[in-house]
Amino acid sequence: MTATSAAALPATTDAAPAARRWAAPLWVSALLIILTFLVIYPLLMLFFGAISDSNPVIDGFGKFNPSLTHFIAVLGNENVRLAFFNALVACGGGTILAVVIGLAFSWIVVRTNTPFKGFIAGASMIPLFVPPLVAGVAWSILGSPKTGLLNTALKWMGIDFRFDFYSMSGLILVFGFYYAPYVYMFTASALRNMDPSLEEASEVAGASAFTTLFTVTFPLIAPAILAGSLLSFVVMLGIYGVPAALGAPANISVLTTYIFKLTAWSPPLYNTAAAVAILLMMVTAILVWAQQRVLSGRSFATVAGKAFRPRSLNLGPWRWLTFSLALAYLFVVVVLPTVALVIAAFRRFLFFKDFRAVFDMKAYSWVHFNSIFDNPLTMTSIWNTMKVGVITAVIGGVLAFAIGYTINRTQVAGRKSIDLLSTIPVAIPGLVVGVAYLWAWIGLPGGLYGTIWILALAFVARFIPDTVKALSTSFMQIHKELEEAAWICGRGLLSTIGTIMVPLARPGIVASMTLLFVLAVRELGSSLFLYTSDTTVMAVLLLDYYEGGNIGKTAAFSLVQTVILGVLLGITYWLSRGSAESTARAG
Amino acid sequence: MSAALLIEDLVKKFGTGKPAVDGVSFDVPAGEIVVLLGPSGCGKTTSLRCVAGLEHPTGGRISIGGRVVSEPERGTLVSPRERDIGMVFQSYAVWPHMTVHQNVAYPLKYRRKNTSGSGDINTKVRETLELVGLGEYAQRPVTSLSGGQMQRVALARSLVYRPQLLLLDEPLSNLDSKLRIRLRDELRRILKMTGMTGLYVTHDQSEAVVLGDRIGVMKDGKLLQMAPPGEIYNRPADSFVANFTGASNVLLGKVLERKGEQAIIDLGAAGRIQAWTPQPLVAGDKARVALRAENIRLGEHGPANSFTGRVTERRYQGMQTIYDVEFGGQKVEVLELGTAARHNDGEVALTLPPDTCWAYRDEGQPTAD
Repeated sequence: MTATSAAALPATTDAAPAARRWAAPLWVSALLIILTFLVIYPLLMLFFGAISDSNPVIDGFGKFNPSLTHFIAVLGNENVRLAFFNALVACGGGTILAVVIGLAFSWIVVRTNTPFKGFIAGASMIPLFVPPLVAGVAWSILGSPKTGLLNTALKWMGIDFRFDFYSMSGLILVFGFYYAPYVYMFTASALRNMDPSLEEASEVAGASAFTTLFTVTFPLIAPAILAGSLLSFVVMLGIYGVPAALGAPANISVLTTYIFKLTAWSPPLYNTAAAVAILLMMVTAILVWAQQRVLSGRSFATVAGKAFRPRSLNLGPWRWLTFSLALAYLFVVVVLPTVALVIAAFRRFLFFKDFRAVFDMKAYSWVHFNSIFDNPLTMTSIWNTMKVGVITAVIGGVLAFAIGYTINRTQVAGRKSIDLLSTIPVAIPGLVVGVAYLWAWIGLPGGLYGTIWILALAFVARFIPDTVKALSTSFMQIHKELEEAAWICGRGLLSTIGTIMVPLARPGIVASMTLLFVLAVRELGSSLFLYTSDTTVMAVLLLDYYEGGNIGKTAAFSLVQTVILGVLLGITYWLSRGSAESTARAG
Repeated sequence: MSAALLIEDLVKKFGTGKPAVDGVSFDVPAGEIVVLLGPSGCGKTTSLRCVAGLEHPTGGRISIGGRVVSEPERGTLVSPRERDIGMVFQSYAVWPHMTVHQNVAYPLKYRRKNTSGSGDINTKVRETLELVGLGEYAQRPVTSLSGGQMQRVALARSLVYRPQLLLLDEPLSNLDSKLRIRLRDELRRILKMTGMTGLYVTHDQSEAVVLGDRIGVMKDGKLLQMAPPGEIYNRPADSFVANFTGASNVLLGKVLERKGEQAIIDLGAAGRIQAWTPQPLVAGDKARVALRAENIRLGEHGPANSFTGRVTERRYQGMQTIYDVEFGGQKVEVLELGTAARHNDGEVALTLPPDTCWAYRDEGQPTAD
């Protein structure tokens, strides 16, 4: 931050009036150029790629044969339509399940006297932090039709039923289980902010608790339910890990997996991938726009600025039923997958003669861990991941601070455009960011492609809206007068930022940067298209292990990744309590 | 039809510590309106919510129309929807996702004891909306209404099924003062027209006086006095009641003697004063004498409690004038009605009619204003 906004400054000296006059436009232009470079240029390249039929790898950079026919042909393609349809079914079904679970959870936590509510509320957020691919791997270990642990257990119990998670219903179940917290976050806060007398009035008027729930409570929080389900749908739509793990064995392609398949073709069909990515982005953008509309609309639930005593329904003995429902959910999304990963990672062979063999300690060893760490790529990927994480956190953090400060604290012309540009990535799934960056850089000789910088820049672009939003929140808590007081004391703008803003906003800045680090570490979708063997990262290597078919190594590496993430998340949590919502959108 | 409410020894504790309601007993005969009056945190709203069944009492018994609806000692607890009551909330609690008509029709639709057909529902809703003066508004969304209109919807919603008992929880406190006065008078008219038994909670004494057939003053979970408005204002049983209803002057002294309900108090340098007392004071007790500013007569020497004082300050307020008067080391505020301020600074005669001087035991309580 070298330039400053002259417009926001009281004129203290006239030493350099010319510099003052130019500082603000220069600063704004610099930010706009950076954002254009990060966001607009790759998107434009993606767009050109979608409507041309020249291959950037073969034909070199800058050659386009623009023609819409290509794009239309792609949309008419049967495989594309099938992937699109599959995506809608999987995400639609998953969203319905997520709404049911999320709504039930928010009701249990906010409106009942279920025991250990605080624990339930906290633990039910865990699925938000599980990388989708790890969840997918765990459920393929549990629910694969032949060797799945669940099926082994069923066989041992003599029950004829078999699970098959390599299926559309498997996809829907895993989506629904893991993305329910998105719905929960919205509905729980809406329930909390709702005037309890709205429900009491219904009860006094003679309606049963059940009638009240469906005629008063749920209609009142309908906007929150809708916003939560739109968000979870959008996130599911952009997820690669779960359909890659569970859909691929059954040949079920969704948009994300289909896009990646296209680029893995020989020769890679980059144009088609770009066209399908555009399609995915358009659907996402429409849904995100709809969600923002719902959120900005008048909310029924918040009525007065009065503090409410939370209303809690006395369930009597039934509260143990709601408690066990909550435990069952946690068991399914946290305990079972973890146990599955641990068993698979430590067992030499994932074959069980009978159920008792599970407890045969001789079958367990560190062999899979030894083997993944014998592979030099493993350490390379961990090292790369950390490097990318640090670069992303630093660049992203500084950029987000500059943008957030400019948008929130100055009156400079052009700050609206900065706001707009930095918000665009909200509507772009990670995978599409990856394809766009691929198009932007692959044809440029001596460019970014093949370095870890392209990964970091893609991550910065992908997560800039969330980081700016998180920082803006902490800026808003610092009263403008604190800065003005420093100006009156004769400090300049830069020195005011350095001595007032940065120290006061430090918890927010540190939290945003660590969060950015965590998000970068677990990101898979955009990495898929941008890594090379030298720049591979953990998430990509995990996918390699999975597709290589060795379930032991996959599970072992999943655990390594989970432990690293857990430690990072612990640090993040310790630095800032309650920033779960910012991780939310990133999936 | 409207029914009597009987509350016996009601106790409600939240967690540990002092109970929010501490042994309150009173009754409301059918067709009468009782107002619970008190500062915030005195337990009046909690008592009301116990009657509604929205709070579960810790002890005591509540009966509506002869039926026990709550008696924790026996494990009796009837749910709110089975109590046949209506309730108007402070925050209106009209449902914003419904129209005026839908709001008012809701109880008729979902009540269990519902014998009326759907055609009947429309008639009843229309009649009730007419009653509260919203006949024209039936199809409007409630969110388009003003605060006063929303509260009328809430009232209509609680009247439409003619419950046995109507509970009102500070229904006017969210409205602006002009509207509050209008709706207050109208509320009384509507309630009396329907013959509803009512329990009304407020912290506003002027509301209590207009609406209540009887007023119960509460403090710290206890019911201090339950009496018709005139008695609350002229014979407050307790120095808190006197002070809360507006007796802002306090004279400290010592009891010289007591005869029946009359006591003679020694005010030191100012002399002696004759006062009415509801408490068994004995000679030598420390006493505080409460009296209202508007009951003191300036410029006249009456047959008893007549003093000569000095006006130290005069505050002209248009329709009334407030004087600070000092006599014998005591200070009182005197209120004179009328647009003319007739007394000037300096010496003045004043009479404190014995009937309006109320003596209570002085327990060293601070004087609230």
